[in-house]
Order: sequence, then structure tokens, then C-alpha cells
Amino acid sequence: MKKSTLALAIALASAPALALEQGEHRFNAFGTLGVTYLGGEEDGRSFGIEGQTTDSWRGDQLSKFGAQLQYGLTDTLGVTVQLTAKADQDTWKGNLEWLYLSYQATDELMFRAGRLRTPIYMYSETLDVGYTYPWLRLPDEVYGQVQLTNYEGFDMVYNRGLPFGNLTFQVAVGQAKDRELFSADDQYDIDYDDVFAANIALSTDYGMVRVGYAESSLKDGFDLRPFDGNKGKFTSLGYQYDQGTVVVNAEATKRVIEGTAFPTLDAFYVMSGYHLGDFLPHLTYSQLDEEGTGRQSSWIAGLNYQLTPTVVLKSEYKRVDTSGGYAGQFVETRSEVITRAGRNALGLPTANYDGDIVSFGVEFVY
Amino acid sequence: MSILRKLTLIAGLSVFSLSASAEVAVIVAASSGASPDKGAVANIFLGKDKSLKPIDQKSWTPAKDAFYSNVVGKNEAQLKSYWSGLVFTGKGTPPKSVDSDAAVVGEVAGSGEAIGYVDSAAVNDSVKVLFTLP
Repeated sequence: MKKSTLALAIALASAPALALEQGEHRFNAFGTLGVTYLGGEEDGRSFGIEGQTTDSWRGDQLSKFGAQLQYGLTDTLGVTVQLTAKADQDTWKGNLEWLYLSYQATDELMFRAGRLRTPIYMYSETLDVGYTYPWLRLPDEVYGQVQLTNYEGFDMVYNRGLPFGNLTFQVAVGQAKDRELFSADDQYDIDYDDVFAANIALSTDYGMVRVGYAESSLKDGFDLRPFDGNKGKFTSLGYQYDQGTVVVNAEATKRVIEGTAFPTLDAFYVMSGYHLGDFLPHLTYSQLDEEGTGRQSSWIAGLNYQLTPTVVLKSEYKRVDTSGGYAGQFVETRSEVITRAGRNALGLPTANYDGDIVSFGVEFVY
Repeated sequence: MSILRKLTLIAGLSVFSLSASAEVAVIVAASSGASPDKGAVANIFLGKDKSLKPIDQKSWTPAKDAFYSNVVGKNEAQLKSYWSGLVFTGKGTPPKSVDSDAAVVGEVAGSGEAIGYVDSAAVNDSVKVLFTLP
């Protein structure tokens, strides 16, 4: 952990020198500085997959920084490293998010090997680069289902120009050992074995459509509802449109964990916005259903302002509600999880939660 | 920063750029047989079409602004956002960029595979103009 923090510091310190180089090196950086606050939740409960959105203004859920260096070993062989600094629970950590070799076999085909981002959601591969999507907080209902962000393995990216657009096909295989799983207000170790992911994206003048699938065998030390090597499967269908005026984003997902007590999750969001000069007001409806239990739904209203071509200011209000006695993504302690499961099993009523989340931030790319 | 002030500034800048540059010329080497149309040129500069090697202008000059808004249909922020999505997924890198019109003409003249755009005043015999933008 210390080592990677140091590496990040070195990478950041040497940035200007690298930025001056041309051709062989390419240095890029990104960052988010943001605060988020959860109001209206009566017990002072926290929210989100990291449990960092609480009833005090906190900067550690949204804020993150990253640096990326690409170096051409030959004309077709390259190495890419990406380091990020972000808060994991209550501690800031340096992460080696990416380290891979890439081989450009033809103009259309690329192979990569090393540590890569897991292509799960539509925005998976730029999860930490808030500048590439309109929200400050990606819709939690969809983006809070799979906590795995990178893996070790191989992928193949095939990109082909078509008369009416562009087609990208990606296949990834590998594994992710000894990762952390946040559950019941605690951290557990988890292994993702046999990771397989594939996606296809078609971009035209009418927007981009992406279909993705990912699966993995899950093994963990999480004793409440162990996975025991069961297979987790995730399917995502996404759509993006932004030609400069109207903005549309939508994604629907299904998560199945075979043979465990984890019910299937169905989620989606639909977002629309409109560029008014440098302003982008937008509105999102987002929903998460746990089959047989209940629903979490939310409305997100946001206003972004493009300060410079590389800096955007964002503000967001999110209203979130659960129904059907479902805790949703509100964080419950271990004993609360057990009590809720018991009451659900006996058919007794369980509490719903609601809250108002307000976020402000600034995001940049370099 | 009031919107009015900003608009005035933008208006001022466009007047300035009108008087400062006449036309933008999209160029290939004089010996090149390539003749991509506007749509193909846009795809080349977005990295979607690799039939020619794009040579970009490093800073956001009036010529660059005219080229990207007319041919590619993107402003500076939209272009930055587009490349961020590719750079940070490792799926693409922006075109090589050079410092001046003269450097673009030099690069394009030196390679039958290259394509660039410059203020038409910088065009000489070593390159061929595919089309110009007002």
C-alpha cells in the first residue's frame, strides 16, 4: 500500500517532464474532488457500496485521483500503467489499477495482458474518470452491484469501422484473487476465479449500444451467506447518446448468483440531459429490484457546468427510497442483516429506508 | 463571470478569428492519391478510420476550432471528453500533434500516408488541398 502511494507520488512529480516528451510517452491524469451528504435518514445510517455516504459532509466517497502512463516499446508493443488514489472505507489508498502490455496485431485487433479493468458495466472501464460521464455519483442502483474493478488476465479488443459507424468487440479472461468485499458494514476477502467477460458495442450517429456479459466463480470468507465457489453472472444492456445538444444514457442489468441465498437483482436507469451552452442540466430515474424482497428507487437531478474544456463542475441531488421491507444499499450492521432475514423468513414486516443525498464536486482530465 | 461578459468575449474572439484567418485547408502530400471526403476525414481524426495518419495542431488555434466544428462536429470540450473515454480505457490515443501550420505542412509533405489541416496561407507546392473550409 505504501509502495504504491510512493509510486503515485513519483508519477505525479515526474508528470511535467513526461508531458514534454512526444511520441514515445503519453501521460494523462484525472481527478475528482467532491463532497457528498446524506440527509433525512432517521437513524444516521450510511449509504452505498462503500458505506461512506453519511449524515456528515464527506469528501472520501467521491474524491479520487489517477495518473496514467503509456509507453511504446515498439511500434506495436506498448506498456500502460495507471495508478489511482482513493478512499477505501475510511482510509486513503494507492492502487495499481492497471499494468498491462498491449500488442496491436493489426489496425483492428489488439491483445492485452496484465492487470486490466473488468469490463462489467457500460462505464466500467472509466469508473474512476468522472469526467467521462455526466453524474458525480454513477446511479448507485446499477453501479453498486459488482465491487470488482480489475483482474489479472488477458483480453482482446477488436475494433472495426463500418460504413455507418464503428463496432467494438471485447473478450476478457482471468482471475482476481484476494479482493475486498464490503458487506454488512464490514470488509471480507473474496476471490473471483475464472473471470470471463465479453461485450460488443456499436456506435453510429444515433448513439452507442452496448451489450455486455461477465461471470466468475466466487469464493470468500464471508460467513453469513457464503458463496462457496458459486458462479456470479452479470448482464448489462446500455445506450449512450450525446451529439452536443440532447444527452441520453440508459442501462439495464441483471445479476444472478447461482445456488446461494443471494436473490437475483434487476436494475436500470434512464437519464436525459440538455446542453445549454456550458451548462448541462440532467434528470435520472434509477431502480433496483431484489427479486422476492423489494425495491430501491431514486431520482437524480443534476446541473453541470463546463468551466474549461478539461474541467467540469457538478452538483447533484438524489432522492432514494426503498419499499417492500428491502434495505437496498443502505448499510446495515451484521446483527441488523440477521434480524431482517429472520423477520422476512417469518413474514414479519421490516423497515424501509429513505434519504436525500446532495453532492458537489469538480472533475478534471489532463 | 457573468454570462453576458462571456458572450461578449466569445463574440470578440470570433471577430478576431475572422480577421486573423481566411480559410482552413485540409491537406495531403502533393504526391498522395488519397481523396477522403469530409465524413472520412472526420473518422480519420477520431481514430475510427486508419487509412491515413492524422497530424493535429497542438493548441486550440482558430484553424483547429474551424476544422473540428465544421468537419468533426465537436467543440474543444466534446473532443476532450471523446478522447478521455478512449485514453482511459486504453482503446485509443489522440492523433500526433505539432506546434504550427508550417510543422503540419512539413509532416504531411513528408509522408504519403499523412493528412492535416492548416490556415490556407500556409499551403505550398509540397501539399495538395483536398477541400477548404470558410
